[in-house]
Formats: sequence, structure tokens, C-alpha cells
Amino acid sequence: MIRHHPNTDLLTDYTVGSLSLAPTISVTTHLKFCDQCRDSVHSLKQLGGALLSDAEPETVSGDLLSQTLAKLDVESVTQSSAVDALADAQSTKCDDELKGIPNYLNKFLPRNGLSWRKLSSSVTVAPISVGETQYELALHKICAGGKTPVHDHHGVEYTVVLKGSFSDEDGMYHEGDFVVREPGDVHRPFATQHEDCICLSVLEAPIKLKGLGRVLNPFMKFQPS
Amino acid sequence: MVKMAKRPQQRTTMALIEGQDWNALLQRVGSHQDKDAFSALFAHFAPLLKGFLMKGSNLEPEQAEELVQETMIKVWRKAPSYSPAQAAASTWMYTIARNTRIDWLRKHAKISQQTDELVAEELFDENEESSPFTSLIQTRNSKNIKDHLGELPQEQLQVLTLMYFQGKSGQEVADELSIPLGTVKSRVRLALQKLKLKLSPNGEGTEAYAQ
Repeated sequence: MIRHHPNTDLLTDYTVGSLSLAPTISVTTHLKFCDQCRDSVHSLKQLGGALLSDAEPETVSGDLLSQTLAKLDVESVTQSSAVDALADAQSTKCDDELKGIPNYLNKFLPRNGLSWRKLSSSVTVAPISVGETQYELALHKICAGGKTPVHDHHGVEYTVVLKGSFSDEDGMYHEGDFVVREPGDVHRPFATQHEDCICLSVLEAPIKLKGLGRVLNPFMKFQPS
Repeated sequence: MVKMAKRPQQRTTMALIEGQDWNALLQRVGSHQDKDAFSALFAHFAPLLKGFLMKGSNLEPEQAEELVQETMIKVWRKAPSYSPAQAAASTWMYTIARNTRIDWLRKHAKISQQTDELVAEELFDENEESSPFTSLIQTRNSKNIKDHLGELPQEQLQVLTLMYFQGKSGQEVADELSIPLGTVKSRVRLALQKLKLKLSPNGEGTEAYAQ
């Protein structure tokens, strides 16, 4: 039973597409485990559909339909089957130790496998690059019974438990749980005795823009010239 | 003879168009590659999509139409996977439009080659199976939204519109309106309460409203 979920604010940002790349990946990963949150996101999308239906219509160019119809004719069936083949190929690419984690994550993993490096005697980390600088995305593995060093957070951290479980001062987290740590939180997670724990974590890079500048989200922002 | 064989289907499509049954029309596009059904959906949704995309944004009309076209082409391509039991046509259209906009923004921002490879559809992974309750929740939500959307105070509707229409985060809406983030969050939550949207009780998210 999943006890820890993203809150409604985060699910709303997720649904409207304003979350950055790495946090989006972490929420989708949680949804893979969590029917409840998937239904919540569906509800929020329904609101999107209702707002779309209520939008003030803007007349489109007279030939937009005929242009669009013309483009449909060149669409071919082979395109979609090529995409499926690619998806199949990707879903078979999987590190042995990652068996049991959502296939969904495979497409973000490096083609030549993960490179794990030791953070401490019981913690290894494998960074996942999605070309984003604001957040660091990584898999963390804590050996059974292992403790992580006490650490605090400069930025917000989202963690999804993929396998096993871990505990900290505030509670115990199992597969699928979504854990948020705010800047300033200090904690010392440790894995349960009998099993390694693998988590997906998204850490906001410790760069803080103070004052009025809003944090630019490199994933989404575009100003037409 | 060929004409005879086609007639019943034509008539059905016509009836669906007259009845503005968008869900059924979308299904027909998927099952029959029916261009009349597609054209009817286009006539209804393209102006809505354009209005939706342009409202308050700095998109040029031509850019908005480019996005409308991309969205509708994806609708055609993905229609075979559409199921009215899982989502209303408007919900489904909204999702495709959102993904199209995200991809378009990212393509034009040219941040890095790596992110170019990822498409929004993969990030959100929409082809997810629904839970046993999805259909029930959907019916209930749709009635509640219909009944209460018009009753929302202007300030709540404004915040929702900025988020949904422009893809802005809570923080960005707060900056734009020069109000605290907590106020934005409480407006969203009050609106969602008023709409009686079915949201799961989220463990960490049940703290008191900011205002």
C-alpha cells in the first residue's frame, strides 16, 4: 500500500505541463505504482478538457482543414510500426539489477548501461542525464541495512522508491512511495536489513536565484522573437 | 453498389455530427479513418484549440495554427487507441494539445540535443491502464465540472486559466499576478474543492490551506 504521494499542487503543475523534465519523470514513475494518483491526474486532465471546451474560439484560416487533410494522406502505417519496434527494443534493454522497476524508466537510461559509483560504503549512485541543469536525476542504491551519511538539502528533492524500502527519522518508505524533502531538511535514510533499496531521485541543483528572478525552467521556456 | 454499401456508415457519421457526439466521432476516426468525422471534429475543436493556445500567450496566430495542425494530425494518428470509457474526447484533445505545445516549445528553445530526443508523450506515458474506478470517477467529475465551473469566482478561474492555458506553474502565476505562492495554491485548491473534483487524499499534501 502506497502511503506517500505527491501533493495536489505538484500533481496540478505536472498535469498542466509546467513541471520541469526530471520532476515530471519522477511523478510519472510514481503513477506507475499508484492507481489513486493516476485517477487524480485524470481528474485534473478532465478539468483541462472542460476549460478547452469553454475556451473562446479563435477563427482559423479557411484552408487549415484542407492543408491538414492533405497531410493525413502522406501519413503512412509504417511510421507507427517503426515507433513500436523502437519501443520494444528499448524495453528489453535493462540492467539485471534493475529488474522489477517500471519499464518506463528504460528509455531514459544511458544506452551503454548505467555507471554506478560509490558515494559511501553503503550507497552507490548512477546519474541519468536528460540534458537538464536545474535538476539532477539519478538512481540511488542503498545496500541492505546500509546507512547513508547525514545530509541536508540545498534544493528540494523528490524520491521514488523503486525496490525495497528505506527509513529515516520521519517514517518508512516502500515501493512506489513518493517522498519530498524540502531545502533545510536534514535526514539520514537507511535501507531495511534484508534487501537493497533502489530509488529514483531528483535533486534540485544547489543553485539559488534570490530576489525577483524567477527560476528559469530550461525545459519549457521559450520567448518567440 | 459501392455507394449503397457506404451509405449506412455515412448516415451514422452525419447523425453523430448533428448530435455533436465528439466521443463517437473520435472513435469513428480511429475505427474507420473517417475523414468526415475528422473534419467535423476539426471544425469544432480547431478554433477552441487556437483560442486555448493563444489566450494570454505571446504566440503569433500562425504559430498557434501550426500547433493546432500538429495537434489534429496527432489526433488522427492516435485515434485508433482512443477509448471513450477511458476519457472524454475533450480530455483526450487537451492532453494531446498540451504535449504538442511542450514539444514545440522545447524544439524551438533548442536547449540541448538530449532533451530533443524525448517527446512529451513518453514523459507522461499516457498509454497507462486506467484503474477500476476510472470510468465511474470520470462520469462523476464530468457532471460536477459542468455544474460548478460557471460558479467559480473570477480570481480562481483566472489562476486555473493561467495554469492550464499557458502551462504556467504555481510560482509563475504568483510572479505574474504579484501575489504570494500560497495564495495561488489556495485558489487552486478552493476551485478544485468547489468543482468536487475527485482527488485522492494525498498524504503529504493535506496541510492547511494557506489562506
